[in-house]
Amino acid sequence: MSRLWVTVGTVLGVAGIGGAAMLYSRRASAASLPAPAAAPGQKPPSLPKIELGPLPKAGDVTGDLTTNWGDTPVDLRPLFVLMEQVSKIEGSSRGFAVIAFRESKFVTVAHNGNAAAEQDERDSSRRAYKNNKDRNPPLKYGEQAAEFGSGGLFGLLAPYFLWTGVPEVGKKAPLLNAPPTLVFEPRAAAFAACVYMQRLLAHYRVDDLADIKVGWANPSLLKDGRGSTKYHDVRANFLGDAMALGIDLTDATTIPPKLNATAWPGVPAVFKALVGALPQEIA
Amino acid sequence: MTPDLSCYGDDIPALADLVGDFDLRSPLDTRAWYTREWEALGELLGFAQPLAAELAARRSAGDWIGATSEAGLTAFAGWLRRSRAGVTDHQAVAQARVLGQLINMGRDRGELWRVTADPTTLETGACYQDESGAWSRAFYPDTAPGYFGDGWTGPPPRAESRCGWTTPLVLHLGTFPWVYSSRLDASGPGLRWTSATAAPAVDAFRIMTSGFQPEANLRQDARQVAAIYRHFKIQTAPLIARLPSYRQGQAQVGRLYRRAGFLHVHQGSLHVAGINGPRGQLPATAYNHIIRRFAVFFAVRRATVRALTTWAPEMGSLVATSMDPCLRAQVKGVARAG
Repeated sequence: MSRLWVTVGTVLGVAGIGGAAMLYSRRASAASLPAPAAAPGQKPPSLPKIELGPLPKAGDVTGDLTTNWGDTPVDLRPLFVLMEQVSKIEGSSRGFAVIAFRESKFVTVAHNGNAAAEQDERDSSRRAYKNNKDRNPPLKYGEQAAEFGSGGLFGLLAPYFLWTGVPEVGKKAPLLNAPPTLVFEPRAAAFAACVYMQRLLAHYRVDDLADIKVGWANPSLLKDGRGSTKYHDVRANFLGDAMALGIDLTDATTIPPKLNATAWPGVPAVFKALVGALPQEIA
Repeated sequence: MTPDLSCYGDDIPALADLVGDFDLRSPLDTRAWYTREWEALGELLGFAQPLAAELAARRSAGDWIGATSEAGLTAFAGWLRRSRAGVTDHQAVAQARVLGQLINMGRDRGELWRVTADPTTLETGACYQDESGAWSRAFYPDTAPGYFGDGWTGPPPRAESRCGWTTPLVLHLGTFPWVYSSRLDASGPGLRWTSATAAPAVDAFRIMTSGFQPEANLRQDARQVAAIYRHFKIQTAPLIARLPSYRQGQAQVGRLYRRAGFLHVHQGSLHVAGINGPRGQLPATAYNHIIRRFAVFFAVRRATVRALTTWAPEMGSLVATSMDPCLRAQVKGVARAG
């Protein structure tokens, strides 16, 4: 999950006469459907198809969807609000929006690692898998996760995404049998993002929202790397992203100066509220 | 009897069917249809939440068409006030004045869907003075070929414009906030027509939603709407045809689909999806909103004509004086059928 600069691949490649369907992304670098990697000469392994519930709508949440959202797509705001409500991290919804703006430009199937120039993202996910597989429960689709790179609304590295909840609930973590492509399901990505934000708030020194984005890039920057060039770069980019998006991070009526996760209801409750149940073969 | 809309084109009945038929003489039917359509509008533009509150406050209203209209306008205006200002006060004030004039002119002609005028004949010349004292155009000069027409090159302004108008001012209020034929974007350019002191966007919104109201709908020349729809369809149909049809259980996450006449992104945001075409970017939100506006217009027209003689006979005089032969024929046909 720890990663810094990503390019965003897009999923649509439907070319038409004089037109091409697209998902807008200023950092779009690929236009192919995300596919699991396969060794040369081998057929790509088929990954199970999973259908989660639809994106929540305005009527499904009670938080404010109008104030201080800037240009956040109106049909994604309910998801960010639901994340805040479910995680009980007050004021986090707009922070999630700013993070998604950087990581995916709000393209739920943003995929960093499926283009030739995204070798660094694949390297990161390979490294994440290799360095952590022995101390974490096995992933059913571990090799595919290692080759996947990162993706989804919040730019999550595939192995870390699938291990979401392991520190909290061990082998009962809900995504251990899921394929890495599940990160494209916005509700699944939202679940992992909530868990990650909670973990940063609970275990690291987080002075403000920009620090959360630093931890998103690499949690070690909140410890040994605090004050480093990279630390400041990530913060500056986050603050710039918020301005570009039109979210005022100093608006105390919508975003408290410091977030806290003391009311966190636990991984199972957050998973149930955001994702629900996975199919039997995955669960 | 169902009035025959095919006088405006063989494809118009199917267009109206996209949003379903309803009977104005049935309060239940009317309530369900208007609630659904206003909610769809609120969801797409982003004011669904305040709209729900305003509708709830009026749930016992007897005149549901009026109640939804009032609720929608109040919700939109309140929502817009909490949004970012998109233009300066000077520009917004100039826009509001110009819009007022354009609306009066369009109303007289029965052509509010698309309003056109020589900008130099309008207040301020459709110009405003910015902070530096320079004069700028209050609206985008939307005269290049686009999704709503092949462009408007003339007649050129009769007087010299102090802010550089060399073409007519053209605004498509029927599809507000997508008011420009050659400049569509994901959120709608008209939503930027708001500042700290003026909100011309609310005036334009009122015109766009007037298509919901039977009387205002009858006053609009449907031939103008049909012609603009036909152009839009010709421009977009080849692009849309290339998209796969949505099938429940078989859709790919993040992919753009055709679904029941509209565009749909499976598990993704419609606001970041779109199609590139020869007339420029066609955002999925714009497509859905625009198609829905055309469909709503003709659905309300059909329901109004069907119910006219019994539900609102006083509107008969509107039909009698209408320049639209299709409308007169439709009403006669319904009357004959009893």
